[in-house]
Amino acid sequence: MSQHYNSLISELRKTVDDCESQHDLMNVKSKYLGKKGLITIEFESLRAAQDDEKKELGRLLNDLKNTALEIINEKQNSLINNLSLDNKIDVTLPGKNISIGSRHPVSIVINEITEILSHYGFTQETGLEIEDEFHNFEALNIPSTHPARDMHDTFYVDNNKLLRTHTSSVQIRSMKNSKPPIKIMTPGKVYRCDSDPTHSPMFHQIEGLHIDSNINFCHLKGVLKDFIDEFFGRKTEIRFRPSYFPFTEPSAELDIKFNGRWLEVLGCGMVHPNVLRNVGINSKNYSGYAFGLGIERFAMLKFGIKDLRMFYENDLSFLAQFEGLK
Amino acid sequence: MKVSYNWIKEFVPGIKKNNISDQLTSLGLEVSSAIYKNNDLILDIDLTPNRADCLSVIGISKDLRSIHKTMIKEPLYKKLHGVSSKKSILKVDKKISSNYNLLTISNINNKISTPKFIINRLSASQIKHVNFIVDILNYVMLENGQPMHAFDKDKFNGKVNVRFAKKNEKINALDSNLYNLENDMPVIADDCNVHAIAGIIGSTYSSITKSTKNLMIESAFFDPNIVRRTAKTLRIQTDASHRFERGVDPTLGKYAIMRVFYLLAKYSTYDNYCYDVRTANNLPVHIQKKIKIEFNHIKDLLGVNLDNKFIVRTLTLLNFKPSVTKNSITVRVPSNRFDINIPEDLIEEIARVYGYDNITSTPDITQKKISNNTANQLNNYLNIFVTRGYNEVISFSLLPRNIQKFSSSDKNIISIQNPISEDKSELRTSMIYSMIDTYKYNATRQQFNIKIFESGKIYKSQKKKIIETNIISGLLSGLNSGFNLKADQNLIDFFDMKGDLMSIFHNITFKPSNSLDYLEKSSQAMIYQNKKLVGHCGEVKKSLYSDISRKYPLYFFEILPDNLHHTVDVKYNEISIFPKVKRDLTILLDDKISGQDIIDKVERMSLKQLKNIRISDIFYNEKDFRTNEKSMTFELIFQDKKSTLTDKKVNNLMILITQEVQKHLEVKIRS
Repeated sequence: MSQHYNSLISELRKTVDDCESQHDLMNVKSKYLGKKGLITIEFESLRAAQDDEKKELGRLLNDLKNTALEIINEKQNSLINNLSLDNKIDVTLPGKNISIGSRHPVSIVINEITEILSHYGFTQETGLEIEDEFHNFEALNIPSTHPARDMHDTFYVDNNKLLRTHTSSVQIRSMKNSKPPIKIMTPGKVYRCDSDPTHSPMFHQIEGLHIDSNINFCHLKGVLKDFIDEFFGRKTEIRFRPSYFPFTEPSAELDIKFNGRWLEVLGCGMVHPNVLRNVGINSKNYSGYAFGLGIERFAMLKFGIKDLRMFYENDLSFLAQFEGLK
Repeated sequence: MKVSYNWIKEFVPGIKKNNISDQLTSLGLEVSSAIYKNNDLILDIDLTPNRADCLSVIGISKDLRSIHKTMIKEPLYKKLHGVSSKKSILKVDKKISSNYNLLTISNINNKISTPKFIINRLSASQIKHVNFIVDILNYVMLENGQPMHAFDKDKFNGKVNVRFAKKNEKINALDSNLYNLENDMPVIADDCNVHAIAGIIGSTYSSITKSTKNLMIESAFFDPNIVRRTAKTLRIQTDASHRFERGVDPTLGKYAIMRVFYLLAKYSTYDNYCYDVRTANNLPVHIQKKIKIEFNHIKDLLGVNLDNKFIVRTLTLLNFKPSVTKNSITVRVPSNRFDINIPEDLIEEIARVYGYDNITSTPDITQKKISNNTANQLNNYLNIFVTRGYNEVISFSLLPRNIQKFSSSDKNIISIQNPISEDKSELRTSMIYSMIDTYKYNATRQQFNIKIFESGKIYKSQKKKIIETNIISGLLSGLNSGFNLKADQNLIDFFDMKGDLMSIFHNITFKPSNSLDYLEKSSQAMIYQNKKLVGHCGEVKKSLYSDISRKYPLYFFEILPDNLHHTVDVKYNEISIFPKVKRDLTILLDDKISGQDIIDKVERMSLKQLKNIRISDIFYNEKDFRTNEKSMTFELIFQDKKSTLTDKKVNNLMILITQEVQKHLEVKIRS
């Protein structure tokens, strides 16, 4: 018997192989497995079989049917696959209306710094770019006769109005207009009468200020140490060294170890009591720290940009390199 | 300031080559480079302007004393005996100089050559060898910080006057410039001529030459503010002015001149001398200043608990002569420290000797105040521009002179009084110029597909007030997406720009305009949000970029983010369960009438069931040029909250709408 079955199967296999379409295959399926199909009618022999043979025969017949179904299904799958292969698209062709833009590296760095500082509790403030001498200099303990004015080559628009040389003027306005605790960060454009490969007449700064009771130098160090590690994404070797700013006392400069060399990246210090007095804050009850850094400098370190002028040429080949950053 | 290590070592024997740089830097005297040369180490020290006391080898050594705890060995002097005031040839305005020493030496041998070690030390500090006498003066200045000047006495007529210049006085200075002096400028003069601008520069006429026989050496304290003002006005910077501006020890004059005298006598010969001095009764205030400081104050400001003994020892080594009580110290400020005025200054002295790096760090994380998030909102807009394919640019706020004639009248333009160059001498009143500039920069680099934006300020003077306005500006041109296959490519037009703006800014509308000179009159618009002007846009006038050979039209916009309504108040509306009905309305209308005119009329009817109306198609009758007619199709969506809209109801609404439109506007309705 089983020999007969085997020949049925091999016959079926051959016919199925020859099928070229779904339609052919369905015809073969009904020829073998339809109501009067070649395999279906084999099941009639079951009725005539002896009781003791029935079990064995039943098994054989089921195997026969299942094998046949398997062959047909397999062919069916391969036919479907071939069909979709014919309609296959080239997924490597360009997508439509791709639009890839980018933020400017200066904005990317500002966003990253304000994001980090906001977690420490700093809120963002912006102010005027055209300032008066009081807010840019005098309130910051820099009278007109002070040698420190040389550190700020200033653009004047008239006798009293100037382009701010730092965003510290925003701190002054903020301290005048609100009461401690004050914890602000002030990103923005600043201007100095200076132009060479390492200086630009316009650049960006961000400054931080925290005024409260019991704020001391340890807090300043703590904030900046954490900030530097977070910004550069690793433990960074830093040093604080004494420096001079008219608006802070003590004053410090923060250097980071970069490729084996110390690089000055940030100025800071405890807010000078004269500054607090100028804005009406009692330095007996309150103290605070301030720090300031140049955005372009941080961007140059972060992205390996060598020439400061690249930032303002706005060459698309430069700008497009910053895609994907916010 | 560049200085020889070996020289410092003469005063501070304990220092070592391998750590002097670190020690100076940690004290706040930053060593930016240290170069080995001729068995010496040349240290380049970046001094901050407050530390004028360290503009000399002895000054630096005194600071190092705080670490090395050695006494500073005084250099050798030759004593001087003054003349009686009757014989004096000096007349000094005490406002200019509170301490003026003048040493006259007759018949000095000026032909000898300067000792080699002096020339080497001068050259390490980048001071040129001039002649024996000038070299000695410079050497002593480097040693103790006192700038001095030597005159050829034979060129002087009569008395030596330290006074303010008279009108029309001039000086031929050693830098080969002729300076016209003003009456607030300090000079050294005789009865006829001006021989020096005090504290700044001498004249060629009375300068020391090989043939000088009789000389006068001046060693004085000049008022820092007067020197600074004068040097700034005349734009002169000399070694002397640099030091006097920042403050030279007012008690140093006599010692310096005695030191010079010693060296001259050691290496040369002379016949006799005459020493003359004028001193004001009032010494500069900082010398007598006493400052009291509480120990608690130190702890509060630095956040560390320093040993009182360390504090007292440090101040002693820095020559502050502290006197101590249980809770406080009182110090006397040394005459060379112009920078010490308040207790906090002393706290910095203590901290820098203790070492900033030895102070601990405390985290400073506080609860953030709730603030209005306009900065965040602005940043969100900018990030959407990026996802729509724009590159952010940042350009200078300063523009070339006269370039802005197009957009702003002269009285609105703010000029820089002291520009660094002509091409950065006016503040921008619009971003159009820098945008076109950026376009040109990239176009000349074969980059014609461009979509850029900038967020920043523009500046105008209005009725003598300065107005700073925040702007988001953009420029787009070329192919809409450079990545597309040719078949899918299209050239950017006005509606690409409008589409971008409408996707980014909520609920804005566009009204035709012709008021902006830098945009084509035929395609420019004012942009409104809730009836408030929030910006403008249009095609850039072609003449503004006619120098670019390959031309795609340029589109430009400026948005005023401060006028935008940032917070969108959303109130949920119950969704109607009844079906929507869509109808088209095609209207034949004159080209002068805009689609928006129709929509405005319809919306003004405030029909409850009208959910939406939009322009869905437009068709110009090209066959007939005589008529400026166009046919426009509007898609209207109706829906009712409470019931299904029947055809009849919708038809009635459509009749109402067409009647309304026809009542106000000259149009034909197509069925």
